[in-house]
Order: sequence, then structure tokens, then C-alpha cells
Amino acid sequence: MYPRWLWPSFALPGVVWLLVLFVVPFYAIIAVAFGTVDPVFFQIPVPYWNPLDWNTAWMSEVIGDFAPGQKYWIVGVRTIEYVAVAIALCIAIGYPVAYYISRHAGRTKALLLVLLILPFWISYLMRMLAWINLLAEDGYATRFLSFFQIDTLFVKLGLLDQGAGWLDGQPISVVLALVYGYIPFFILPLFAALDRIDRSHIEAARDLGASPLRAFLHVTLPLSKAGILAGTVLIALPMFGDYYTPDLISASPNTNMIGNQIDLYIRQGPQKTIGAALTLVLAAFLTVLMLYYLFATHRASREAQST
Amino acid sequence: MSAFLAACGNQGTTPTASSAAGSGGSSTPLGPGGIPLARRTNPVTLPLYDDNAAIADGLSAETGGTLNIYNWADYLYPSLAKQFGKKYGVDVKISTFNSMDEAIAKLQTGAVEYDVFFPTTDRLPQLVAAKLLQPLNMSYIPNLQANVWPEFVSPFYDKPGDGETTARYTVPYTIYSTGISWRNDHVTLDVPSLGWDAFWQAGDYKGKVAVLDDSREALSLALMKNGIFDLNTEKQEDIDKALASLKELSSLTNVKTSISDYQTIPEGRTWLHESWSGDIIAGALYYMPKGVKNTVIDYWFPEDGKGPIGNDTIAVMKSAKKPVLAHMFLDYMLDSKNAISNFVDWNGYQPPVNDSDPDKLVADGIIPEHLASTIVKRDSFDGGLEEGQLTPQGQAMWENAWSDFKAGV
Repeated sequence: MYPRWLWPSFALPGVVWLLVLFVVPFYAIIAVAFGTVDPVFFQIPVPYWNPLDWNTAWMSEVIGDFAPGQKYWIVGVRTIEYVAVAIALCIAIGYPVAYYISRHAGRTKALLLVLLILPFWISYLMRMLAWINLLAEDGYATRFLSFFQIDTLFVKLGLLDQGAGWLDGQPISVVLALVYGYIPFFILPLFAALDRIDRSHIEAARDLGASPLRAFLHVTLPLSKAGILAGTVLIALPMFGDYYTPDLISASPNTNMIGNQIDLYIRQGPQKTIGAALTLVLAAFLTVLMLYYLFATHRASREAQST
Repeated sequence: MSAFLAACGNQGTTPTASSAAGSGGSSTPLGPGGIPLARRTNPVTLPLYDDNAAIADGLSAETGGTLNIYNWADYLYPSLAKQFGKKYGVDVKISTFNSMDEAIAKLQTGAVEYDVFFPTTDRLPQLVAAKLLQPLNMSYIPNLQANVWPEFVSPFYDKPGDGETTARYTVPYTIYSTGISWRNDHVTLDVPSLGWDAFWQAGDYKGKVAVLDDSREALSLALMKNGIFDLNTEKQEDIDKALASLKELSSLTNVKTSISDYQTIPEGRTWLHESWSGDIIAGALYYMPKGVKNTVIDYWFPEDGKGPIGNDTIAVMKSAKKPVLAHMFLDYMLDSKNAISNFVDWNGYQPPVNDSDPDKLVADGIIPEHLASTIVKRDSFDGGLEEGQLTPQGQAMWENAWSDFKAGV
């Protein structure tokens, strides 16, 4: 027989990876956020590694600025709005696509999956930079959209400022860019979930007299809930930290997300302690979302077992 | 020279008496490292430390290996660097950064080792106090006194000590002004008569208006709009006024923040931009799309000279592996021919060398006549405004306002 330690040892590379590249750096961020700055320049972070020494001044300053009407409140609310709309669009666009590929694509299934992954052959930044040219005043995409009067439609719907170009600091452009950038990450796990559904369940529903719509609502949709959640989590986490999409597509402070504020302090500005504190606030917020996800999937799998 | 520096340093690791005081005395607010804040009206001599001496005279250049240069992106003509490497038999490697904060943060870790660095003047006290730069031995840099405008041989931010004739840590690199650039084929505002207020009259150009993505420059613009010309102010009420104006600008024009004006103005992606003069020269010379003449670009700097004006510098890192060669590189960049080639063949930023005569640049057709306003003249520095080092508290005040503006409205 195998020694008892053999199988657990397989987890070792993953554990080391997690410790060295996540736990330690994350603790460093905590130590910086609750640390102080050097006495000479007042800006080089001096981390406090011992929790007993922690200095909460930065954190309370940052949390204070999250009060309604304060600067991080404005950015925070905007970020949640953008991400929520982007996720809704991802579901609206992504679900039919995943559904089609898993159920009706037949022999083209493999080809469609490859096509779905194809954009990843080009880096996210390159794809966003390409959009800058496509959406420029005389860009191909702009001309196409104006030929079909989609821009006038958007203006009528109040989604685009009258007379503004797509790159002129428009929230809709940022949201659509987010959707474009992240939607494949949403479709793939959803496709996997839909593909796993035992067709006999659906046939049973139809045999028992359910209309196609009812069969979908009462069988397919609940069974794919885990896929929707997984896809949502997968795109929500990076979207909340995104700063280069608004930077490239808009560059207006009026479309900045919370990631831009973190970028401002950590990469550009010297007050890294504030940046670290902001990072922790965002992480805490995302943890709450993650807990809901874990809770929901746990419940879903328990329900699946009991049926 | 080096003997003198060594003598200076013998007095201890604390800044030497002649240097610490500056000419402003002890009443002036202190910046990082207890060094007085340098202003044109209050020149400061940067301290020397006895554990950070300049290299000795008469050493021969190191050979082989790599000379490591740390500079802003796209700010040095690569072919000049290559020629230098060829001349001395070394590889020249240019690494780049996007902001001074980013650069200094990296240098402070000590994890990276460069020979030559391009600091802004306002960060010199910090770099010197942290002993990241080494004092220069000017016997290797004869071009400084031979070719450079005298104001930059003994500049206010790096004043020679008693009995010395040259700056201690830096040689100048480029000079520039901050003004307004605009597309005269789109913008009908009378920018020269509106001045800085032009941005607040640009409601018709929503989404096409941008300020520099730089806390000092953007807030300074708003200060000047409010008639406050002390761009080093640390009064909360001044900063509050500037912030309120910037937020108003956000509502009025959906203003962008960008430092890509040298591309976006020629391409027509922005029409009215707070700009550095050098970016507009580079944009007009090298970034015009096919079929668009550079006469569509205008640049304004106040006729009375009351606008931000500044310069960048070159220095040698204390941790330099090839200090002698690094000194020679500084001298190489101050050679008139090289300095001008770097200016007109690559980055659009003027060097303060005697042979780069502003009027001649226009007469020779190197700079388009309608952009003569981008040229910084020697007397421009007399009335020009400066963005100098702030106290750490003042800097935090500016940065908090900046973060507030960047949160949008």
C-alpha cells in the first residue's frame, strides 16, 4: 500500500504557492496598512508585523472617507453600479451563448469553444488598446455604430451624452468594455455547468407535461445556478479591482473605479499606507461576496444530494 | 575638486555647516532630511556626507559590461545611448519609469542598481538625504561649464557650496514650461485672452478637454485660475479652492487626466489640453497623422511669463557600478551636438545649452513658427513660476485633494 503521507503531499506545491505568493504578501499589505511611515520622508511605509503594535489611524481615515458623500463613497457606489450592470449584461449575453453551445451546437461544439477562448491569445491590454482605435472619431467601430444609428439610439436612451464620442469619458463605454473583456470567463464555467446537466431530467419534465419554458425555469435554470454563480464570482472579483479599463477607455475622473484610487496611492502616489488600507477595505467587501457564494453553492450541492 | 569634497565631508555624517543652512536661514520650512525647501528666491546647497564622497580625479573609464540608465519612458534618444556604448565599449541599457514616485520607491528598496538617473529637481533633497545619489566630480564633466546656461551650472536647487563653482549632485537635462495646447480647427475659444480660465469656458467640448495626470500640475492650473500664483502653497484654503475648481471642471467638461497629449492632440482625441511644452514640439514634429498639418496645434504660455516652468536633471547613483563612465555619460549628454540631437531628433524637450539658440531654432525651421511659444528662453526663468519640493505635510495635503478630484463627481 501507499504510505499515508503520499496523497496529502500532492497538495504541497499548491500550499507552498499559496503561502509564498498569497498569504505572506497579503499579510505584508495588512502590516503596511496598520503600520506607520518613516520619520524622515513621512511617506515610505514602515510595516508593523506584530498585531499588538497595529496603528489604526490610516484605516480609520480611509473608512471615514467611505461615509456617504465622501470621496470613496462616490467611487465605491460607482464601482458597484458598473460591476452590477456589467454582470447583468454578461448573464444576458452569456447565458444564451453557453446554452446554445452546450445543447444545440452539435458537432461544432468544440470549434465554438475554441473560438470562445480565442481572444485570450491576445493580452487584455492589447485588446483594450485596439478598442481605442476602433472607437476613435473615425474608427471602424464608430463608423459602423453610426451607420446603423446605434449611437443616436444610445443618445435617445440617455446612455450616451449628446454629441459625445465613445471615448469621451462615457460610463457606458467603460461598462461595455468590462463586459467585452470578462465575458468569456463567465461563459466557460456556465457552459461546463450546463453541459453536465443530465438530459433525462429535462426529458422527464417534458414527459410530465411541462412546457419548454417551464422545463427550463424549473429544471435547467436551477441546475445551472452553480455555473451562473461561479461565472459571476470569476468576473466580479477582477472587475472590482480593475483600473486600466476605465483608464484606457475613458481617463475621466468621473468614470474612475475604486481600483483607480488604489492604483493612485500604490503605484503612482507615495502614500502607500493609504493604498494598503483601501486594498483591505476592498478585500473585506469581496470576502463578504465570496462568503455568500460559498454559502449558496454549499446549499445548492446539499439540495442536489438530497434529491 | 574631489579633495575639497573629501575635506568637506570630514566634518561628520551630518550635513556640513556651510550646506545645511542654505541662504534662507532656519526660519524656512524644512523638507525631507531636514534640508531647506529650495526656491528660486531661496537657493539651497545640498549637504555632503563623509560616507558618500565623489570619485577621485583622473580615473579611467570602466570598460566592458553594461551601463545602466534609469529614465522616464521615451525621454532619451536611443541612438545617442547606443553611440556612447560603442565609443566606450559597453552595452547601454535604458530602463524606464512612469512617475518619480514609482522610480524613487524602486530605488529606495536597493534591489535595483543603476548608474545614471534622471531626477526632478523637487525630489533632490529626498534623494540626497537618503544617500541615493553621489556627489559629482565635475572634472569629468567639462561640458557643464563650457556649454550650459550659467543658471544651471549653479542652480537654485543644487547651489554650489562656499568656494565651489558648480552644482554638487546634478547637471541639467531639459527645460520646459507648462501651458495650454489646443486644436485651432476645433476650438473657437480665444485661449490667449482667456488664459487658464479657458478650461472652464470649454463646456462645448465635453470629453475633449484634459489636464495633466499629475497632482502638482493639475492643481497648479486650478490655483492659477483662482489667481493664486504661489504654486507651492500649503494653505488648506488655497488647496480647497483649487479642488473645488477642478471638480467644477469635471462637471462642466467631463475633463480627462492624461499625459499622452503628444499623441492625443495630433490625433484629435483631445482638443484642449494642459501640456508640457516639450510634448507639443514632439507631437507636432513626430505624431501628426497623415494629411493633418501641424498648424492645427497651438500652444499658449502666459506672455508675462507667469506660468509654471521647470527643468529636469541627470545624476549619478551612489550604487553605480561604473561611476566614472556614468560621469562621462553626463558629459556626453551636455555636448552641444548630442544635446540638440536628443532634443530635435527625439524628445522635443530643449536642453539649456548655449548653442541651442531659441530664435535660431525657429529660423532654421526646426521648430514650426506658430509653436515658437513652446520655446523656453533664458529670461523665461525670471518671471516663471516653480513647483518646488513641499513639506511632507504639504505634500499629503496636495495628494489628498488630488485623490478627491480623481474620485470624480
